[in-house]
Amino acid sequence: MPMVLLECDKDIPEREKHIYLKVDGEDTRDFLPVSNAQTIPGTLSERGCAFCGAKLVIGAVLKDTIQMIHGPIGCAYDTWHTKRYPTDNGHFNMKYVWSTDMKESQIVFGGEKRLEKSINEAFDEMPEIKRMFVYTTCPTALIGDDIKAVAKKVMAARPDVDIFTVECPGFAGVSQSKGHHVLNIGWINDKVGTLEPEITSEYTMNFIGDFNIQGDTQLLQAYWDRLGIQVIAHFTGNGTYDSLRGMHRAQLNVVNCARSSGYIANELKKQYGIPRLDIDSWGFNYMAEGIRKICAFFGIEDRGEALIADEYAKWKGRLDWYKERLKGTRMAIWTGGPRLWHWTKSVEDDLGVEVVAMSSKFGHQEDFEKVIARGRNGTYYIDDGNELEFFEIIDRVRPDVIFTGPRVGELVKKLHIPYVNGHGYHNGPYMGFEGFVNLARDMYNAVHNPLLKLAATDIRGPANATIREAAE
Amino acid sequence: MGCDITTKERAGVINPMYDCQPAGAQYAGIGVKDCIPLVHGGQGCTMFVRLLFAQHFKENFDIASTSLHEDSAVFGGHQRIRDGVMTLARRYPALRVIPLITTCSSEVIGDDVEGNINVCNKMLKEAFPDRKVYVVPVHTPSFKSSQVGGYSECLRAIFKTIATRKATATGKLNIFPGWVNPGDLVMLKRYLREMDVDATFFMDTQDFDSPVLPDKSIHTHGRTTVEDIMASTGARASVALARYEGASTAEQLSSDFEVPAHIVATPYGIANTDALLQKISEITGRPIPDSLITERGVAIDALQDLAHMFFADKRVALFGHPDLVIGLAEFCLEIEMKPVLLLLGDDNSKYKRDPRILALTKKADWDMEVICNADLWELEKRVKDPDTKIDLILGHSKGRYVAIDGNIPMVRVGFPSFDRAGLYRHPTMGYQGAMELAENIANTLFAHMEFNRNKEWILNTW
Repeated sequence: MPMVLLECDKDIPEREKHIYLKVDGEDTRDFLPVSNAQTIPGTLSERGCAFCGAKLVIGAVLKDTIQMIHGPIGCAYDTWHTKRYPTDNGHFNMKYVWSTDMKESQIVFGGEKRLEKSINEAFDEMPEIKRMFVYTTCPTALIGDDIKAVAKKVMAARPDVDIFTVECPGFAGVSQSKGHHVLNIGWINDKVGTLEPEITSEYTMNFIGDFNIQGDTQLLQAYWDRLGIQVIAHFTGNGTYDSLRGMHRAQLNVVNCARSSGYIANELKKQYGIPRLDIDSWGFNYMAEGIRKICAFFGIEDRGEALIADEYAKWKGRLDWYKERLKGTRMAIWTGGPRLWHWTKSVEDDLGVEVVAMSSKFGHQEDFEKVIARGRNGTYYIDDGNELEFFEIIDRVRPDVIFTGPRVGELVKKLHIPYVNGHGYHNGPYMGFEGFVNLARDMYNAVHNPLLKLAATDIRGPANATIREAAE
Repeated sequence: MGCDITTKERAGVINPMYDCQPAGAQYAGIGVKDCIPLVHGGQGCTMFVRLLFAQHFKENFDIASTSLHEDSAVFGGHQRIRDGVMTLARRYPALRVIPLITTCSSEVIGDDVEGNINVCNKMLKEAFPDRKVYVVPVHTPSFKSSQVGGYSECLRAIFKTIATRKATATGKLNIFPGWVNPGDLVMLKRYLREMDVDATFFMDTQDFDSPVLPDKSIHTHGRTTVEDIMASTGARASVALARYEGASTAEQLSSDFEVPAHIVATPYGIANTDALLQKISEITGRPIPDSLITERGVAIDALQDLAHMFFADKRVALFGHPDLVIGLAEFCLEIEMKPVLLLLGDDNSKYKRDPRILALTKKADWDMEVICNADLWELEKRVKDPDTKIDLILGHSKGRYVAIDGNIPMVRVGFPSFDRAGLYRHPTMGYQGAMELAENIANTLFAHMEFNRNKEWILNTW
């Protein structure tokens, strides 16, 4: 019973292993969906590639670093203007992409010379920038260009620059998840420990796995400032290249997104003995719990309680106003992976919202373990869901709102279902106390949009009453 | 004074103007009804292009991937092509066309696309004896050309695969509008209707602006059918409105099936639209109706209010697809603006010899620069340079920060335009498009005057 073969999957029955319906009284450990496995070709999956997992998700968040993409132009073009991660220095990271614009002759004769030239040009054109990530792509990996050697050569000639290389061709792994891993491991091995950070507080931590979506990092930074905790490195929200080189000096690693960045926290523990503490930054209960854990680690519980009390006083009333009106709302979450388990219980506890279906693009086994443990009975848990499956699941669970990306949002609009951007947010930030009120507000405005009723009205029928009702 | 035609000197690119070939191929593919392009490459090659189309049109389009991984890189991606084709055909019973679009990775690996398609055709025939599914080989390695060439190549390949026989004479025209918005398409269709000319548009992208309906049905897909493509060989003539986006298909129909091909100036501005209508009139013998003379007059009337008072001598930078940039530069001259910078963004060596560019350079009695293989860093550098005064930018949304940081008014035109609402609905071609674009330019300049307190009082009495 618990693994579900949908009607649309009758020709690809192997999909049954990826879709789980949680029912009462079962040992859910027996029914974990298969995840982090290859996508069936031609299924209209939502997945991206390893390159984007490295560059777009993690690297390009940095506010002071050139992101040189060694490959044809599309890899640069496509990972530009698709994210909402501002910085406090004018969004340098969102304004530019760099490409070696590889052509056929480099495919035949090698692209290392062109890479070297492009790196030098980029530093020459933007003389104030001294840091760079270099990424491989499918073709440059296939022809075997040695980007590390090129980076070394440039660094030797330009002693004031530092370059990090990422081997992340799009075909590597099964999804963007592979790129997260490659970048995490590459960074800890190549760059952590190469610069000593300035220590300004007796309490220091790294905040890992938060990418400043619509200002998440900056919102949480206000909490750490108030608690007197120095964040040595943000991995990588609003972060700088050099701050990440000093991650080895933190006393604690606090991890939000375990999927994209848990690897580096594990390595920091292994190589430097820094403990790892996982928290959830979305939701009142979770955020308060996270702050309590962090403060307990440093022995500053009083400060934590004072902060939580102040934030509750400021925001809890507004959250409850939305909770009153959102109670019983049926929500679907179709995002990358961890947000499924970050959100399912926080929207339930804080807002009375029921999450009825969840699909993860690139979650692994531990993500599904967490989300199934936290999620409701009667809810579908889907790995690498595809378009026809989404239609069928929507018919089964009838969600009132879907948290997903803008393209799928445009699709479900035709089905009279509103979406909220589950990746870049509608009007965030969504983390922290204030952020979760923003999330509640966006969900409320989506669900209570009068256009939904108008969309469903066929004015050729006896439906005038419905129109009046919607307009009122 | 005069015009320099140069090429970007840097090897690398900072802020590209175009996406890669497979992206353009995907755009051509979605113009066909009952068609899902299958991109043979990494998943990002599809996922991001779908997102790009969604950003521009605020719609979802179906495009599939073969999800190429390491094992395919080593052993070839044959099985993934076959699985992809068969999975699509099985799960989408209405599907009739699958453009199989290659990428950099699959071209470097060297998968035998044609051979695999032969195998797929056999498998399809066996699985669906009563159904024909066309699998179209589209070779679009990302390390050649750009989205412009990719669009053209996919269009050509679809016709090559489907339009294989001379059809009986239809008396219709084949119109290849190029990579245009639904707004342009709707307007061009109206012009032909008003001329009483029967025409088929390739690709018919009118429904890329599609409704939310009470019955929840989804109509966001191309309207061009397999039958339309088959019948194209029996057309009276083909008219291609974009030299770099569709002309090659018109030429192919001419050489293979003797359908006369007319490559006309892209109809931006009054004179180019005049030439198009005259050409159609000449081919079909249908007169240009009074309604279009009136529309032309209304447009000229509107432009007269703007040209020498507000537009004259304004220095304009243009970037985007080559046919768009060239056509808009010609339109700029009609409204007395000076196109001082034209950026064309790939390594196509034909741009430099394009007769329209050569004609522009002859007309230039001001400093004008045409940069081929350009990126938007070339634009940004000139905007930052106090010696290169630029009053207006015409281009797509990827250049938005050049305008924002440089405090230069910018009108979004071309693909993609995701940071202004509804632009895909409005024509930029034809008389109507010329008028609406000019008014959009004027209103943008007016708002800029107000926000910058720059002689905004001029408008007190206009």
